Amino acid sequence: MTEKFEPRIVGFLCNWCSYAGADLAGTSKLKVPSSLTPIRVMCSSRVDPVLVTTAFLRGADGVLIAGCHPGDCHYDEGNYYARRRFAILKKVVEGLGLESDRLRLSWISASEGQRFAEVVNEFNEKIKKMGPNPLRTKKTL
Amino acid sequence: MKEKDKNKDVLVIGAGIGGIEASLLLSKADRKVHLVEKTSYTGGSVIKYEEVFSNMECSTCMVAPIQQELLQDKNINLITLAEIEDVKGLPGNFTVKINKKARYVDMQNCIGCNACFDPCPVSLKNEFEEGLSKRKAIYIPCAGALPNVPMIDTENCLRFNGKKDCKACQEACMFEAIDYNQKDQKIELKVDSIIAATGFETYDLSKLSKFGYGKVDDVYSAFEFERLYASNGPTEGKIVLKNKKEPKSAAIIHCAGRDKKGYCSSVCCMYSVKFGHYLKSKIPNIKITDLYTDLVIPGKSNQKFYEKLKKTKVDMVRASDIEISKHTNGVSIKFNNANGKKDNLIVDMVIIAPAIEPRSDASKLAKVLDIKTDRYGFLEEQKGNVSSVITSKPGIFMAGCVQGPKNIQETVAQANAAVGKILSSK
Amino acid sequence: MEQKIGVYICECGPNISEKVDIDKVIQAVKPLKGVAVVEKFKLLCSEDGKKFLVEQIKKHGLTHLVVAACSPRDHEKTFKEVCEKGEINPYLFQLANIREQCAWITDDKNEATKKTIRLTKAAIRRVRLHTPLEKKEIEGNPDVLVIGGGISGISTSLQLASSDRKVFLVEKEPVLGGLVNNFEKIYPTMERGPDLIKEKVFEIEKNENIKVFTDSQVEKVVGFLGNFEVTIKKIKEEDNIQDFNVGAVVLATGSKLFDPIITPKYGYGKFDNVITSLEFEKMNLSGKITLKNGKTPSNVAIVHCVGREEKGYCSDICCLYSIKFVRYLKEKIPSVKVSNLYSDLCIPGKTHQNFYEETLGKDIEFLRSKDIEIAKKGNNLEISYNDENNNKKKLTADMIILSPAVEPTIDASKLAAITNISQGNGGFFAEEHEKLGPISTSTEGVFITGCAQGPKNIFDSITQAEAASGKILTSLIPGRKIEPEIKVSQISEALCIGCKTCLTVCSYGAISFDDSKKISVVNEVICRGCGNCVAACPSGAANIKHFTFNQLYQELMEAVQ
Repeated sequence: MTEKFEPRIVGFLCNWCSYAGADLAGTSKLKVPSSLTPIRVMCSSRVDPVLVTTAFLRGADGVLIAGCHPGDCHYDEGNYYARRRFAILKKVVEGLGLESDRLRLSWISASEGQRFAEVVNEFNEKIKKMGPNPLRTKKTL
Repeated sequence: MKEKDKNKDVLVIGAGIGGIEASLLLSKADRKVHLVEKTSYTGGSVIKYEEVFSNMECSTCMVAPIQQELLQDKNINLITLAEIEDVKGLPGNFTVKINKKARYVDMQNCIGCNACFDPCPVSLKNEFEEGLSKRKAIYIPCAGALPNVPMIDTENCLRFNGKKDCKACQEACMFEAIDYNQKDQKIELKVDSIIAATGFETYDLSKLSKFGYGKVDDVYSAFEFERLYASNGPTEGKIVLKNKKEPKSAAIIHCAGRDKKGYCSSVCCMYSVKFGHYLKSKIPNIKITDLYTDLVIPGKSNQKFYEKLKKTKVDMVRASDIEISKHTNGVSIKFNNANGKKDNLIVDMVIIAPAIEPRSDASKLAKVLDIKTDRYGFLEEQKGNVSSVITSKPGIFMAGCVQGPKNIQETVAQANAAVGKILSSK
Repeated sequence: MEQKIGVYICECGPNISEKVDIDKVIQAVKPLKGVAVVEKFKLLCSEDGKKFLVEQIKKHGLTHLVVAACSPRDHEKTFKEVCEKGEINPYLFQLANIREQCAWITDDKNEATKKTIRLTKAAIRRVRLHTPLEKKEIEGNPDVLVIGGGISGISTSLQLASSDRKVFLVEKEPVLGGLVNNFEKIYPTMERGPDLIKEKVFEIEKNENIKVFTDSQVEKVVGFLGNFEVTIKKIKEEDNIQDFNVGAVVLATGSKLFDPIITPKYGYGKFDNVITSLEFEKMNLSGKITLKNGKTPSNVAIVHCVGREEKGYCSDICCLYSIKFVRYLKEKIPSVKVSNLYSDLCIPGKTHQNFYEETLGKDIEFLRSKDIEIAKKGNNLEISYNDENNNKKKLTADMIILSPAVEPTIDASKLAAITNISQGNGGFFAEEHEKLGPISTSTEGVFITGCAQGPKNIFDSITQAEAASGKILTSLIPGRKIEPEIKVSQISEALCIGCKTCLTVCSYGAISFDDSKKISVVNEVICRGCGNCVAACPSGAANIKHFTFNQLYQELMEAVQ
């Protein structure tokens, strides 16, 4: 018997744009998968690579980092740094033996409730297809 | 009167970007601000734009934090659905009478869940969405409007028209927020100074008979197009024609009404370039033609923005004597080109950039404030003074398009300047 | 002290109560360590709700508060005030968003309940690691340094001084007034430039609050809003140095003109009688417009957009002052023929079109042109150009006035470095935000106005100067302390390895390096709390208060359950 796979997705949302966009998705009563648990940070640049790798090591099936569109960062250039870290993190995720697509970076503005819903729905489907994080059940790497 | 007891409150008229900026700045200096807004929401024209030039920043993201700050600021008394009826007195001691219309929704109890909309039996054109979508008689203008509390349009509400004992909205509300017994109020305030920041309107394109506006399908005004592109707008940002298909070509017509008004509205060329970016971002292969007279893109950042668009192959055509009419394959535009020769263009969609003009209630406001307007109907600067924020009456200042057509940056600078003037006057 | 966490779940009317099985949530979170009480309430943000919470805090002697309700963007402030009323530090509080990001995005009650449990548990686990944070207050010096004594600098200084602020006005030239001193008239009012300046300079000299330093420049500016240490030096006097302390700095250093020598096709510096607009202004102000040989010109051409292609922007003022030049010429030499060669007529604003239309008249022509080349033809000059239909045309003139692009002054880079701000498009000082912050910069307390911020006319420069005073009068108030950001970065002395990575990623210059201890140090007054340094730090030495790694880790652990 195969148990239905319920993904566990962690979403790091920046306070000024993407967290607001996620709120708007709620205010607009859009359907967003409950598999994503949001964690608010002040800026996408706060998303520590260690946090992301820890997330995967602890069994997260997917990690979404969402920030302001390039040029719109509340702290000037934070999101550019997030983008650079994301590029490197993708390799790290591969190094853990996981599909690099389990990590996603999206720019979502405060007025893009619709887009937030679309991104999370799409990501959720993708993760479902990939299956659960194998590290969840492993005792050691 | 002792200096300590002297009333230092400020009246700010208009809660658009200028009014909001001025109010927040005054509050920082511990001045109490009475911010009077005619509509039920804050943000004015700026919240109608999806993005602003030249950095194409999300407009609502830009304004939402300051709107929230405004709503939570203890020094700012926001009075919506209100108009200034009378102002008497001298600088330092103005007595202001305000007419505040009832919202019929309790602002403390309402949590903004929108449950009252569905049951309302009345459906009307939504003015905020330029008539492109509908609203109910109890409504908020758009998703994300702040304050997030609806109002009842008593002119069209069945109950308030005496047509029916309808209680649909009240019955749907779980928070006892709907109160039909609210009454219009008359509020009297005493203030030290006043800032008028009531914004602008755009020239009524139906007055230009040759432009086919309102007669020919798929001819849109700038504001209509902004709402079409807006992700919280009537089509959720999908650019579609009346027949729901995507346009393959578009023409943007600059300077509509310029001859009639006698001045260049300063922002239209820039937002027309922005529109080009909008179109290309959603429909990459769309063919865009701009019909313009002079390209007005001053400033250190604006030409760069234009050149970025130019790279995507937009046709810039100098044109005059424009005539727009229906065509079997879309919209036909006849014009005289730079040579003076007749030329024509067939496109799927036409967007017209109208002149910016004073609001229809600007002269009434000027009369109430007892300040002068200029030959165009904008508020006039004090003669002999080099400051652009001082009106003809001491103690009354202005900021933004109420003084003349300008962009957001210039409006914010004027709002800051008006505050500077108020704080530095003895 | 034992932790006593109070957990309160808001029903938000039917909004949450109908979508989430709150009783199940209560059962799930009750057993967690440190949880003293778990209750639900109809509407926590209401007056009744707030009262209830304060009573609960006192009743149970709560040390921490968790509320599961709407978005922090709605009511974080509300509940923080409740904490203060209940005498709990407002940072020992966490709000779990179970409405916008949970109840409202799904119809599956089961899913919503499970997620609510996760989010509430996450909030409880996080709040256990919260530390009390206190408001910071620092004294601010209300005095201001204004760099540049042109129309902008003068206007700012007068406005600030009239509010009893002390202003130090530094000007590198021997006299105040800047460029406007050279303009016989300014558009569109055509009032006299030098008179305007004279009037304002007189007011400055009268004003005891303004200390003027001419022939001087700023050497050093170190500090932050409320506390800048400034050093100025008299030019050419090595030992004449002064130090003082101010709370804010205004850069009003104006602009200069693009040098047409760079574009040889205009013949500037090669042919006589090809002059720049500034040279023409000076000539006009002297009273007589003449050619180099002393004769009166009869055919003057004014060439717009000189250097526009090279600089990449339109300088805003040139079309209008070129129209003004037509008036100068016609006033002094009624029979002169004037031709304006332009690309696009840039005359925005309510008064400018009228100004242009009233300038038109006999022997005045405005010609759209491009690909301009200037050559000598006998005793005259000949302009070859393409008209807008690409026909080659020629025009003869005995005097050619070039309207060059407006650029930042030559010391803009030096000043940007001294004040720790950046140069943006065109090399002009970068404003904090193109739309909402044209006067402020990324360094709090440093403001930019006038042409130093970007090409603009005199009236717009004055508006910006007044705006700067508005910003300063509201951010620096005598006697009032400045409250900087609380949730700032902190760098552990023990863990810092001195790699300086954090210094390079900070957009605000908030981190400095202590050379003796060989560690990075955060200036808590400048830090804005973005967290970039934290993510960049290889040794985990950096953390953001209230968003520490451990706090986020607790939320993360619940998210992956």
